[in-house]
Amino acid sequence: MIELRNLTKKFGEVIAVNRLNLSVSQGEIFGFIGPNGAGKTTTLRMMSGILAPTEGSVRIDGINVAKEPEAAKKRMGYIPDRPFLYEKLTGMEFLKFTADLFEVGDGRFRERSESLLKQFSLYAWRDELIESYSHGMRQRLIISSALLHEPKVLVIDEPMVGLDPAGIRMIKNLFKDLSVRGTTLFMSTHTLSFAEDLCSRIGVIHKGRLIATGTIEELKQLAQVKEGDLEEVFLILTEGEAVP
Amino acid sequence: MREILILLRPRMLSIMNRSVSIRGVRFLIFGLLGLLFWGGIFFIFYRVLTYFQSIEGFGDILAFKLLSMTLITFFSLLIFSAILTCLAKLYLAKDLPLVHAMPVSGKKLFLARWLEATFDSSWMVLIYSLPVFLSYAIVYQAGGFYYVVVVLNLVPFCLIASSLSAIAVMVAAILLPAGRIRTVFVFLGLFLALLLVLSFRLIRPEKLVNPESFASVLIYLKNLEAPSSPLLPFTWFLDALKASLASSWEEAIFHTVLSWSGAITLIYLSTWVSGAIYFKGLSKSQTSAGKLLSLGLWSQWVEGYFSHRLTPPVRAFVEKEIKTFFRDQTQWSQIFLVLGLIVIYLFNFSVLPLERSAMKLEYLQNLLSFLNMGLAAFVLSAVSARFVFPAVSLEGKAFWIVLSSPLSIRTFLWIKFIIYFLPLLLLAELLTILTNLLLQVTPFMMVLSVLTVFFMVPGIVAMGIGLGALYPDFNSESPTQSVTSLGGLLYMTLCMGFIGAVIVIEAGPVYSIFMTGIRRGTLTGFQWAWILSSFAIVLALCIAAVLIPMRKGEERLLKREII
Repeated sequence: MIELRNLTKKFGEVIAVNRLNLSVSQGEIFGFIGPNGAGKTTTLRMMSGILAPTEGSVRIDGINVAKEPEAAKKRMGYIPDRPFLYEKLTGMEFLKFTADLFEVGDGRFRERSESLLKQFSLYAWRDELIESYSHGMRQRLIISSALLHEPKVLVIDEPMVGLDPAGIRMIKNLFKDLSVRGTTLFMSTHTLSFAEDLCSRIGVIHKGRLIATGTIEELKQLAQVKEGDLEEVFLILTEGEAVP
Repeated sequence: MREILILLRPRMLSIMNRSVSIRGVRFLIFGLLGLLFWGGIFFIFYRVLTYFQSIEGFGDILAFKLLSMTLITFFSLLIFSAILTCLAKLYLAKDLPLVHAMPVSGKKLFLARWLEATFDSSWMVLIYSLPVFLSYAIVYQAGGFYYVVVVLNLVPFCLIASSLSAIAVMVAAILLPAGRIRTVFVFLGLFLALLLVLSFRLIRPEKLVNPESFASVLIYLKNLEAPSSPLLPFTWFLDALKASLASSWEEAIFHTVLSWSGAITLIYLSTWVSGAIYFKGLSKSQTSAGKLLSLGLWSQWVEGYFSHRLTPPVRAFVEKEIKTFFRDQTQWSQIFLVLGLIVIYLFNFSVLPLERSAMKLEYLQNLLSFLNMGLAAFVLSAVSARFVFPAVSLEGKAFWIVLSSPLSIRTFLWIKFIIYFLPLLLLAELLTILTNLLLQVTPFMMVLSVLTVFFMVPGIVAMGIGLGALYPDFNSESPTQSVTSLGGLLYMTLCMGFIGAVIVIEAGPVYSIFMTGIRRGTLTGFQWAWILSSFAIVLALCIAAVLIPMRKGEERLLKREII
């Protein structure tokens, strides 16, 4: 469902992402972990079509993001780590805006928006301007909007940022449910316990290179860790760099 | 004092860091333009004052009337600028939560912010007031004492304006309903627009070109009179300057002391007011952002109108643009100002004393109509620089939504183009047709100007969108001010070049058509070829002005290295 081939991004002399090769199958929850500045967000941005790669390609459901961006984006939902939105729209108006962009019909929009707003506890706030929303509410609104058109692939940058414990639990259950129903999830996170609970496979990126990929057990073998959790594995693989 | 300096430190360090990284070309262009403008002010004042000196008996009266009016203008500018800056610094700045969490008293916080606001709102007025004072010094051959008096009075002049503005903003924050602090922008814009129109109506500048219509010199001078109450700060400044030019040291010092005592009293008063109401007002303004008017019906109309006329992705952006534009109260003040300026523009045409000219009336009417095409297009490009050029940057940090949406950058830019093109075309045509009606031009000139403007407007709007995309600033807190950026400057320069080229290319053929009409003759084959090729070049220029910037802007955004 997701294919990254020799994906590279250079910012001047700095190589943020270096020849990344990766495949993620349908219904998989893929965790993408790495220290700060490792290239996680840059990779996710290239996948979602926000940033153009310097070299290499991204394919979503067989569609090349660089060659057919509109078709690829229609199959995707992107959740950024920082919830910047149109401040002067209400929550409901923003969802309608997203629905129109992704060509969700009026009948389907009414049904989906109501259920998502209720699920994310935003229904009472639907007619308030976004500028009056808290950080967590904005994050929940972005997640709702990304799910509105029922994407085949969900690209998520730090899903936990700004969410309360109830929100985190709800998101966990939601992601598991989406995966069971065939949605592919690709998420970067610093919350290693979250990745451990949820992800079927994990990729570790360090200094722009994918240094390891596999299930938790495979990563433990690679790091030669018999006991211990993902945090231990992460620290060994990234050469003892502190977890931020 | 130590805390105030610490609070000001981030600002000073930011300025220093920025000045190190400032780019050479940009600095050079702005420096040259600034210098040109500075020199222009000096030249105009010097010429006017020299002319006044040649009028025996009235030279000094006229010179001091001019100085009085100039000081009133400076004071109004300082007040207007300080209200906007105080509002931003005291109530809207994004670092307010951070600084209010510091263990510093509210009064000290206020003083630090107020000092910043005073500096930001005054430095430009200060710099551009200097050529005025310099021209008086040279014409009146003033000594060193005059320069000391100027500097000693300029400082309290700015402090007074800034203190008064801070008090007004703090009172407004308490009086306005919670979350409506931005409404100050609306009222300020409305007030300034009304002031502009009223002052123009009251001054009646058209009368000043016709001195013999006044019953006597006395009435003429009375028409130039400006208020000069001893309670007003600009009167203290004026009196100090007059005294120093006349070498009356004691009198000049007295008025300077008056200025300083006024400034110190107002600073004390504003600090006291801040202790009483600033934090209360700030808390009130933080509660929730309110809409100025309930736009429920308007929103429904917008949605209903576009729902069946556009495809869903295009409709999504059109509705978003319209709603966010009208809900942003900072835009309203600008709209009021533009409306005020249009009223003045049209009013000027209605009172032009054409019959007093030595030129033939019909010729003059049509010449003015022809030149008015360029003037209307220039007004339009100034309006576009404020509204169209920042349109792409206004997406701000939410630009990721556009990039991650299944909408091409090309469509996104064309949607922006259409949204601004329609109202601006209406505005430009309205200006052209109304001024033509006021000038009573020939049907040929009416058709020509309507058509020329019709073909120029898409170019002006497309250059705004295209250059806005070429020079986007998605991180700016106030992208509407991006007109002062390098891209904004380039946009205005290109617009002027484009308008000038169209007018110059059309001038020759239009003149020959018009004169042939007046002489009731017929056009030769060569003239026809000239006319047709000129209009074809204009058309090609207009098409290029649309396509090239839009394509360049698209290419820039497609590179996506900008967020």
